[in-house]
Amino acid sequence: MSAVMKAPDVRDAYLASLAPDVHSLAGPGPEWLNALRAEAAACVNSQPYPTTQDEEWRFTDFGLLRKTAFASAADISLEVSLADIEPFVLPESEKSRLVFVNGIYAPHLSACAGLPQGVVISNLAAGLPLHDAVIRTHLAQQVDFHNEAFAALNTSHIRDGALVLITKDTACPAPIHLLFIATGADMPQANYPRCLIIADAGSTCALIEDYVCLNQGVYFTSAVSEITLGENAAVEHTRLQRESLSAFHMAYGAVALARGSNYTAHNIAFGARISRHDLRIKQNGEAAQCTLNGLALISGRQIADTHTVMDHTKPNGQSTQLHKCIADGGAHAVFNGKIFVRKDAQHTNAAQQSRNLLLSNKARIDTKPQLEIFADDVKCAHGATVSQLETEEMFYLNSRGLDALTARNLLIYGFAEEIVDRIPVTSLIKQLSKTLSEQILEHT
Amino acid sequence: MISSNSKVILEVRNLSASVAGIEILKGINLTVRSGEVHAIMGPNGSGKSTFSKVLAGHPGYTVTGGEVLFEGQNLLELPPEERARNGVFLAFQYPIEIPGVSNSAFLRLTYNTQQAHRGGEELDPLEFNDFIQEKCKIVEMDPSFLDRSVNEGFSGGEKKRNEILQMAVLDPRLAILDETDSGLDIDALRIVASGVNKLMTPDNAVIMVTHYQRLLNYITPDFVHVMRRGRIIKTGGKELALELETRGYDWLDDEHQKAASV
Amino acid sequence: MSTTLEALINRPYEYGFVTDIESDAIPKGLSEDVIRLISKKKNEPDWLLEFRLNAYRHWLTMTEPVWANVSHAKIDYQDIIYYSAPKPKKKLASMDEVDPELLRTFEKLGVPMHERKMLANVAVDVIFDSVSVTTTYKEKLAEVGIIFCSFSEAVQHHPELVKQYLGSVVPSADNFFAALNSAVFTDGSFCYIPKNTRCPMDLSTYFRINNAESGQFERTLIIAEEGSHVSYLEGCTAPRFDTNQLHAAVVELVVLDNAEIKYSTVQNWYAGDENGVGGIYNFVTKRGLCKGVNSKISWTQVETGSAITWKYPSCVLLGDNSIGEFYSVALTNHHQQADTGTKMIHIGKNTRSRIVSKGISAGQSNNSYRGLVKISAKADGARNYSQCDSMLIGSACGAHTFPYIEVMNSTAKVEHEASTSRIGEDQMFYFASRGIGGEEAVSMIINGFCKEVFNHLPMEFAVEATKLLGLKLEGSVG
Repeated sequence: MSAVMKAPDVRDAYLASLAPDVHSLAGPGPEWLNALRAEAAACVNSQPYPTTQDEEWRFTDFGLLRKTAFASAADISLEVSLADIEPFVLPESEKSRLVFVNGIYAPHLSACAGLPQGVVISNLAAGLPLHDAVIRTHLAQQVDFHNEAFAALNTSHIRDGALVLITKDTACPAPIHLLFIATGADMPQANYPRCLIIADAGSTCALIEDYVCLNQGVYFTSAVSEITLGENAAVEHTRLQRESLSAFHMAYGAVALARGSNYTAHNIAFGARISRHDLRIKQNGEAAQCTLNGLALISGRQIADTHTVMDHTKPNGQSTQLHKCIADGGAHAVFNGKIFVRKDAQHTNAAQQSRNLLLSNKARIDTKPQLEIFADDVKCAHGATVSQLETEEMFYLNSRGLDALTARNLLIYGFAEEIVDRIPVTSLIKQLSKTLSEQILEHT
Repeated sequence: MISSNSKVILEVRNLSASVAGIEILKGINLTVRSGEVHAIMGPNGSGKSTFSKVLAGHPGYTVTGGEVLFEGQNLLELPPEERARNGVFLAFQYPIEIPGVSNSAFLRLTYNTQQAHRGGEELDPLEFNDFIQEKCKIVEMDPSFLDRSVNEGFSGGEKKRNEILQMAVLDPRLAILDETDSGLDIDALRIVASGVNKLMTPDNAVIMVTHYQRLLNYITPDFVHVMRRGRIIKTGGKELALELETRGYDWLDDEHQKAASV
Repeated sequence: MSTTLEALINRPYEYGFVTDIESDAIPKGLSEDVIRLISKKKNEPDWLLEFRLNAYRHWLTMTEPVWANVSHAKIDYQDIIYYSAPKPKKKLASMDEVDPELLRTFEKLGVPMHERKMLANVAVDVIFDSVSVTTTYKEKLAEVGIIFCSFSEAVQHHPELVKQYLGSVVPSADNFFAALNSAVFTDGSFCYIPKNTRCPMDLSTYFRINNAESGQFERTLIIAEEGSHVSYLEGCTAPRFDTNQLHAAVVELVVLDNAEIKYSTVQNWYAGDENGVGGIYNFVTKRGLCKGVNSKISWTQVETGSAITWKYPSCVLLGDNSIGEFYSVALTNHHQQADTGTKMIHIGKNTRSRIVSKGISAGQSNNSYRGLVKISAKADGARNYSQCDSMLIGSACGAHTFPYIEVMNSTAKVEHEASTSRIGEDQMFYFASRGIGGEEAVSMIINGFCKEVFNHLPMEFAVEATKLLGLKLEGSVG
């Protein structure tokens, strides 16, 4: 507790209003979890509200969020039926689905029957009595809530969440669908979804972390996901942000890679009025591999900000990143990707590409791909482009008889589809491709 | 072409060498005379690539014993550039890319350095251009390659052809071809091999280090040596390569052990 | 790293000597009184004193920037001499009366001050500590209407031009170091190229810091009128001291319709010793305004010196069809830190910019590229291409790339590429196995790596730059 006492109090009244009240911190959970939440609550008070004066927040003004008061979500999960979530259900994950309504676990919508031994998919609260030690070792260990106000906020609110444990050398047979539903109720609510994923040595699994909404209301999602990969484990993680166009979405992801492990992510953002996704990946062991694919497709007055950090600390690591932004209308897309190659990370091979399509004169794109290299025997490259549709490509399609609009839509679709196609779940690709074409048509 | 009276170019006696403290070569003996083609074969990890790098003087390898005489001179005491100027040439398995340095500038520098060392005439860019155009024909290389940066963006086959082009320019007494056939399609293999054949004279010699027999279909060796665990365990004629192709390497182990225990 | 390479990158600084010359220096410290004293010594008009005082008052409200990827002990701005000039024995009637000690100094530095001794067709302004010592070819240039003189002289003889343009590109409150410079600048070079004139020779300024305790705060202003063209070069060296000296310069370029300025720098300030003791803090604001249509500014820099470099020669592309270019080689060794790059601000239509940056890091140094490409909402048809390559020599150094790309116009096209390579044992062995020794191999690799930038230097400078990189990286082969 002494560390908590020492932290300077720069309390921001708005952040403080979102933090849980003191009484709720002493919940029914284990003592260590209550202590963790109290520590996080103190961290909320020791950090300023991020503004565009901060280098890391230069382009993304979350000032608008402050204008709305959000109440912590109440449990209305029973008001949501299976029929309501039907459009989001993935047949591949029929027996490996966890559903949360406004961040609160909804057992009647979830389905985790008949999982093989070695695969645990459950809500955190139910998993705690059975896996206390593992959860305690990993929960809030990857995400830097001491320095990220919103990660602290989420941590202070941990009551429940999604828990995935894949034990040693186990292959999870089906993709795991973690579906976070926002009801978009009349009253602005704040949701605090939390995921903890632990893939032990030699295990493999595919995950879909999915943020959807039932109504286009104003609400705030503050999410944190932590993923730990053991030696030679492989995780393919699809993250979909398709929140309400009036919603705020602020998410932190932290991934730890052990020797020889392989992490692939597909991060797709279509929704939210203002969204921000911070993803930090650390290669803690040799020869770890990482592939990051990203797509933000936004229009209107949307702002979508993606910050990634790829931290190579050990030799022979590999990382490949392709991030695409498409901004139409008056939208503003931001990409900030850092690659660190630390002193010991010799023979690292890292490549990063930021490709951006700016479709309207009122839209804006800011991209900042960064390399920080401290080892000499490495191969690193990055590239960034911002452009509009290629005249040559348009002409080619026109010359094949397509009118300008069709050609335009086709090219935008193709640009986005390159990322969507990489998702390992067929039904999801179909779902997203459909959304994609609708969204492109809507904006023309 | 060969007679035992031919001049000895290379004499390797009981050579051992290590890298990072691990002994890779454990007593190599080899004599190469002018006009000869030697093939050194062996499975991965047998030490054959190490052997070629040690001959060329790669600083990553430490010679722990034995001696190497090149035309009667102690080769091991020379830095790699001196060995090259004296006529030892290594065609790299993985040629290095040098961005921004044009192939022609690089080739001219190497040629003129060599000429200065031998007391020959150095060439200005115009004279060199005529000279190099002729050499390009040997490896059927498009002269446009001369304007590109050394090996940068070259395909695997183009890199290997560029190595042989360098060999043509430097006219070495001893050429060591390290896995020159690896990664080549059949056309490129033919071109590279025919380039080497054109460059062979009674006064020089070639050591080919290779994993497979297929290069030997194009360049006929006078001797085939089999390396295993840092030693040459068998030496034969070109028929030995064919035998290795059909029987693999394992039978040699037994034979070698038998011989050793006698 | 191989011992050969190590030997190659550790060669001593050749310009580290001190000239023993009597100087007229004011006491350390900064205050309004000091600024009034400088202004009085230079016999400046009131408006210029006001300019200085305004800058100073604003500076007092500012804090040192901390975003750069460099670290240094806190600078004590009261521990610096803000004015130091070699004492003239009497009024100079001609070059022959320049203090022979000074002449010897610049001969030693390879900067000939005698016009008759000059090899190349280059006019030189020589700045020693705070003041301009001499400017060559002044009369010859005046024949075609070109003004090339020290800044102090320009204030006396062409006050209307100075008043019109001073601070018009880099406002006195632009940033911490620009504000400091605006308050205390002592001298610098001034060039004015009249309409439709192509400057018949390269103009050049040579900067030398000699006094261990003085800072150098020079100010350069170049104006290229419609349809004119000039190529300007600057070079800098300083003696070896174990304390750090501050160099905070401001360079402003103004280019009108169809005019072009080509600005080349070879920066070789003392970089500190192999343990990072001493060296110049080079905190410089350089900015050019492409004010007219079809105007062009091309910055080329070879940065090899200074303990810390903080420098972003920038182009504000205001005129339609204007062009900005930035070609840079930055070499850091030992404990040097460089955070350098450019800003290309596209405002006019069909503006173009091109950035080629080559960073070479050796020893324990850190070398950062930081560049901003900003396409404003009205900059229809703007194009940018950036290429940033890093080369590492040894495993104790760092290379960093921080490109900022901000696009607010959908007709823009911006491309950025970066890569990293190294000089290591394998590269050296490849050269060696072709008979090429260590020094030649390193110089060939470096020159190949930097070729695109060197191609943009004027001939004499390209030779000097190649030699300089050689000096920095060559030595006896081990």
